[in-house]
Amino acid sequence: MGKFLLLAFRNVFRNRRRTVMTLLMVGGGVTGLLLAGGYFAFMTHGLRESTINDGLGHLQIFTADHFRRDEVRVLDTGIENWQRVAANVSSAQHVRGVAPRIEFYGMVSNGTKAAGFMGSAVDPAAEKSLGFISRVDLGRDLDPKPGGEVEALVGVGLAKSMNVKVGDGLTILAMTSDGALNGVDVQIVGIVNSGIAELDSRYVRITLPAAQRLLQSDRVTNLVVGLDRTDNTDLAFNEIAPRLNGLPQQMELKKWIDLATYYKQVNNMFNGIFLFMGVIVFFMVLMSSVNTLLMSMLERTREIGTMLAMGTPRFWVVALFMLEATLMGVMGAVVGVAVGNALGAILNASGLRMPPPPGYTEAILFKVLHLPGLMAGSSVLVIFSLALASILPAIRASRLQIAEALAHV
Amino acid sequence: MHQIVSVESVSRKFPLNHDRTRNLVSALDHASLRVDAGEFLAIAGPSGSGKTTLLNLIGCIDQPTSGRVLIDGVDTSKLSPGRMSALRRRKIGFVFQTFNLIPVFTAAENVEYPLLIQGVSSRERRERVAVALDEVGLSARASHRPDLMSGGERQRVAVARAIVHRPALVLADEPTANLDTHNATQLIDLMHGLNQRLGLTFIFSTHDARLLEHTDRIVRLCDGQIESDGHDTSISQHQGGIRGQVFASSLS
Repeated sequence: MGKFLLLAFRNVFRNRRRTVMTLLMVGGGVTGLLLAGGYFAFMTHGLRESTINDGLGHLQIFTADHFRRDEVRVLDTGIENWQRVAANVSSAQHVRGVAPRIEFYGMVSNGTKAAGFMGSAVDPAAEKSLGFISRVDLGRDLDPKPGGEVEALVGVGLAKSMNVKVGDGLTILAMTSDGALNGVDVQIVGIVNSGIAELDSRYVRITLPAAQRLLQSDRVTNLVVGLDRTDNTDLAFNEIAPRLNGLPQQMELKKWIDLATYYKQVNNMFNGIFLFMGVIVFFMVLMSSVNTLLMSMLERTREIGTMLAMGTPRFWVVALFMLEATLMGVMGAVVGVAVGNALGAILNASGLRMPPPPGYTEAILFKVLHLPGLMAGSSVLVIFSLALASILPAIRASRLQIAEALAHV
Repeated sequence: MHQIVSVESVSRKFPLNHDRTRNLVSALDHASLRVDAGEFLAIAGPSGSGKTTLLNLIGCIDQPTSGRVLIDGVDTSKLSPGRMSALRRRKIGFVFQTFNLIPVFTAAENVEYPLLIQGVSSRERRERVAVALDEVGLSARASHRPDLMSGGERQRVAVARAIVHRPALVLADEPTANLDTHNATQLIDLMHGLNQRLGLTFIFSTHDARLLEHTDRIVRLCDGQIESDGHDTSISQHQGGIRGQVFASSLS
């Protein structure tokens, strides 16, 4: 076996120029996959963390009714006595904190003009302790202990359409839990720019007590749980889920991935693009390698005839060609991983920025993650591609007529 | 005497073009030959006389159109490709006109190859390779690759490769065609010496009349037919007809 491997290894370097060309092609494919895959991974990883830190959290607790039916009245599917539930959850491992939220809808008016909004009410202190960022562009975040006026954050699009700025007042109108219309005057303390135009045109955020007064309810829509690390989501989920049993209301625990629709869409898109690139690299390596290996087979016709004449089993010839191709694939993969990582490091150090994607307003930093799984996967892809490419030449070589092969010039 | 090769009324026809049923040309026509173990036999004849075809059939690397070839009593026409391959591996050694060494292997590794495909242990392989290289006088060149060796040395490596597994039969197709007279004579002497010392059966084809003086038995082929079979190395006795004149001219 050792000699057989040696023969295959030496055969790989018989025609050095051709081998170098093949290694460059295979290595180039792996490098391309590593750079693209590393960039996509950086994007999805960044999107994952920003999605979580923008307020989604790692876990969210709702009542089961929240998913079963629509609200007949405001917050009638909300969590009662949410402080008890929060205290119960807070002691679980990996939990950094629990933040209550209310989602509500209504109209906002500047006195001369009105518009619909999507409101959220938060406990600023809890949000801050979990590291959730409000992306305040102008002004400041909500004050945890406001005095006097009700403070509000509004989206940059909404502020523009309502023609208001930091320090101006607005009136918020919403239905109470009793079915009556209620209103509250708010003072704008900050303008939020989430980077998503659709959201910014309808965004309003006030403090939890203010929203509860407006909606005439002490319930909350949900509780957001922040963990120490995203990777601990499953562990925490498994510990918290049983703690929600036996409460007066039936609860439902959701992981961030179940709620991050946009993240999943982007992730699927990147996966689709990467798969497409993988298929292109696979066929590129396959087609060009078939040609190279057929040439190699043709050049060695007499030698193969000699080996067969001496009694070499035909499957040995097949195995030899496949082994040579596999070795070439392994070497190409090593070259590709080395070059890909080096190029990735250089690009990461360069501080290059990419244009903002659709729906975003800010340029995105170009960064490549070095992922061992991606390196292994790309390497396996090209090695498999080369091994597959060698089947046709290998079978042709093994089926040579010995007498004709020996007479080959 | 033990009969190692028996060629019984063997014919071999080749198609002239891709149409395999028409336009057949006969390379060998009802040739019969028996070779005993330990013989040192030369097959002589002009180009196109069928020497290589006959050696290919004896070497089990080609199939006759009619007739049969027996190697060590085994009818090769009844063997599957796998068994034929195994028979070649165990019983036959080959020496080719263009040496046909594996260029990426050293001399020792080339000689080792027949043992490798027989599954001989590495220790035994090393010992037998050393003996074989010593027998052809190339122990000092064991680690050299073929491209760093002269033609004569390469062919001696090929001879060592052919005998290393002690086959019942060594076939050499024009082994001296690419060698100068000195090296050609040395090679034939080497093969003859191995035949004498080890009792190996050698069958080789040649154009070269001078080499026939070193052989014990000469089979003369012309136009696919065995013209004579004996120990006579004289050319003049075979110049009787047109066929003989062509043969003599080619040998000269």
